[in-house]
Amino acid sequence: MKILVAVKQVAALDEDFEIRADGKDVEEDFLLYDLNEWDDFSLEEAMKIKESSDAEVEVIVVSVGPDRVDESLRKCLAKGADRAIRVWDEAIQGSDAIAIGQILAAVAKKEAPDMVFAGVQSSDQSYASTGIATAAYLNWPHAAVVADLQYQPGANKAIIRRELEGGMLQEVEINCPAVLTIQLGINKPRYASLRGIKQAAAKPIEEVSLADIGLSAGNVGADSSMSRVRRMYIPAKGRAQMIEGTLAEQAAKIIQIINEFKGA
Amino acid sequence: MFALNSDKDLVDKAIKNGDIYAAAAVYSIAKCEQREVLEGIMFAKRRDALALARWEHTPAEVLNALSIKNNSDVGIVLRLDKNQNTPALAISTLYGLENGQVKRNTSFTVLIAQHRHTPINVLEAIVKFVDDIEVLKAVSKNPVANAQVLGLLLNRVAHSSVYEAVAKNVAANPSASADLLSAIYSYADYSQADDCQAGSSLRVAVLKHENCPQFLIRLAEFNVADAAIEIQRQLVKDSRLSLQALASLVASQDKVLRTGLAANLAAPKMLIKQLLKDESPLVRRAVAARADLTVSSIKYLISDKDHWVRQWLARNPAVSRKVLEKLSADPHADVRRAVARNSRCTNALLSELAKDEDAWVRAAVAYQKNATKRLLEALAEDADIDVLSGVANNPHTPQRILLKLISSLEADIRRGVILNRKAQRKTLLSLLEDSYYLHRLMLVNSTVLKDSDKWPLCDDPDFQVRFTAYQYFAKKYQTFTKNI
Repeated sequence: MKILVAVKQVAALDEDFEIRADGKDVEEDFLLYDLNEWDDFSLEEAMKIKESSDAEVEVIVVSVGPDRVDESLRKCLAKGADRAIRVWDEAIQGSDAIAIGQILAAVAKKEAPDMVFAGVQSSDQSYASTGIATAAYLNWPHAAVVADLQYQPGANKAIIRRELEGGMLQEVEINCPAVLTIQLGINKPRYASLRGIKQAAAKPIEEVSLADIGLSAGNVGADSSMSRVRRMYIPAKGRAQMIEGTLAEQAAKIIQIINEFKGA
Repeated sequence: MFALNSDKDLVDKAIKNGDIYAAAAVYSIAKCEQREVLEGIMFAKRRDALALARWEHTPAEVLNALSIKNNSDVGIVLRLDKNQNTPALAISTLYGLENGQVKRNTSFTVLIAQHRHTPINVLEAIVKFVDDIEVLKAVSKNPVANAQVLGLLLNRVAHSSVYEAVAKNVAANPSASADLLSAIYSYADYSQADDCQAGSSLRVAVLKHENCPQFLIRLAEFNVADAAIEIQRQLVKDSRLSLQALASLVASQDKVLRTGLAANLAAPKMLIKQLLKDESPLVRRAVAARADLTVSSIKYLISDKDHWVRQWLARNPAVSRKVLEKLSADPHADVRRAVARNSRCTNALLSELAKDEDAWVRAAVAYQKNATKRLLEALAEDADIDVLSGVANNPHTPQRILLKLISSLEADIRRGVILNRKAQRKTLLSLLEDSYYLHRLMLVNSTVLKDSDKWPLCDDPDFQVRFTAYQYFAKKYQTFTKNI
């Protein structure tokens, strides 16, 4: 039995940052990389199933990204994931969430897992669509914002609770295999033990090319995506200002501002 | 293996490690040629230099080196200006670049004007030569600005529309002298005709100040009955106010004012007796917290309908054991918890409260420094995390129980053992491999663990643990070198 957990290395912004020369992203020197917060919960949910099962359960983490992503995958291995797969090709650069979903679906087809977990969203891009796009490419049932899961490995159905507006929960029975996007708070993610970290350092990370999963450069990248980033920018701040001084001075200043607007 | 012969060995290890945080930790003990190598590790990549310039734990020596070597990078300069660890020397260097390579804008000067390490001569130069109002306001709020600088500043803005705003900041600045406060108070009196509210807020700021001279208190209390409510509220909290003035305020309609009076330790018993029956629970809570409560006052408050009043009473070390006994049966769990936290709570009472149905009450017993070994042994069987955290924290808990608690799956409980000042080396040893990085970091400065125990933390996977461990050993060498 296999559970495939899609994870992402996300970029957090430094307090003060600079926009890249092409205006489409933040300059990389100002980005701090870490595993997406939601993915910690997805992995923990998979680990819980693995540890409570009598049958053998293999937890595989997969991510799409360059070499630096290995650090996040090792974090997952240190927490107990059995294998880690990283898909990368320079052609993937600029892919939107749907194109990434296509890549993840291709990995899932190759690995044939019984379940695919992903985070509800990534903290840096917030599309909240990668998991759902993966399900669409697999033509599998899916459920978003899963706050509780009851699932026996190998079962053909799972009971999930989805988080809705106003504190409501929706209980759903879903056919398996399925793609679930996991919500924060569904469990309490563990810290990796020092022993786990040392062992993870020695574990291999499987590097997979587009060709290995039956895709080509033409399937991915900005040109093949259905959406493309045009620019990233900080909107101009409002023009509010504090008017200091005595009441008389404040009144005089307001009159002056009004006159300036009127062109007087 | 722990085998260091000199500070040079430690620096060499950090160099070999190649990690920017290890390099930063040992930089202060490195010799000249080693420093160059460390700077290569720390500053070669802009990304790393930016991270160190921003990090709140970066040692002052490293930030100083950055201010010299990387001061043409606006991103670095901005972070150095913001970093509260940036030392005075670096701040001076950065300010000196005003007309040099880095063209400053006002927001950079504001950061220097408000920095806690900005030298007095730099603040003085800013006050004399910078015209921007936001920069001058930043100086007025900076607690390192001395009375002379603040005086210069007030003179500089004396005839400007921002005087009031600057004066208000100066009045709140701990460095403001009695003379400056008097001058501001006089200004507030003169300006009262123009803007009553602004004058009041200035006077309140002056009266609140620790250096406010006695004569200003006397002056203010002279008209206390007719003063603005903000001034009355401030005066009533002042222990220097005369009894007559305090008495004139006890009948005020303002409950905030009466609460201030109830908290004033100079208030006479006669007034407190009156406030005991105040309609506002806020006032009665302040009374219940007083250290000089009389027996009759306690007797009255013990049945107060507001549970916060009873809770404050239960925490009050002035109450007798008999009163605590009565409050320990209170229907409200917060009151019973307060009894368990009271330093006068007896063993017999703690034993009763240890069986309380509410876990928060039992947790308070577990944290209580008077709890006996036997009581803690019983509480160690509890299933609640807060109770077990308290047991883990308590210095009277036997080592064999602490040894059991370190294998808890709950980080809070294991952290309790680390925080326990009586935890022995053999108890803490296995926590050096705790999965939570913060626990390993806390153990770096443990006084019971040996240096050889801590040495592996220099190779910890977490950068903060590595940094703290390297810094620990670097400080040891620094102290050793100073001593010889």
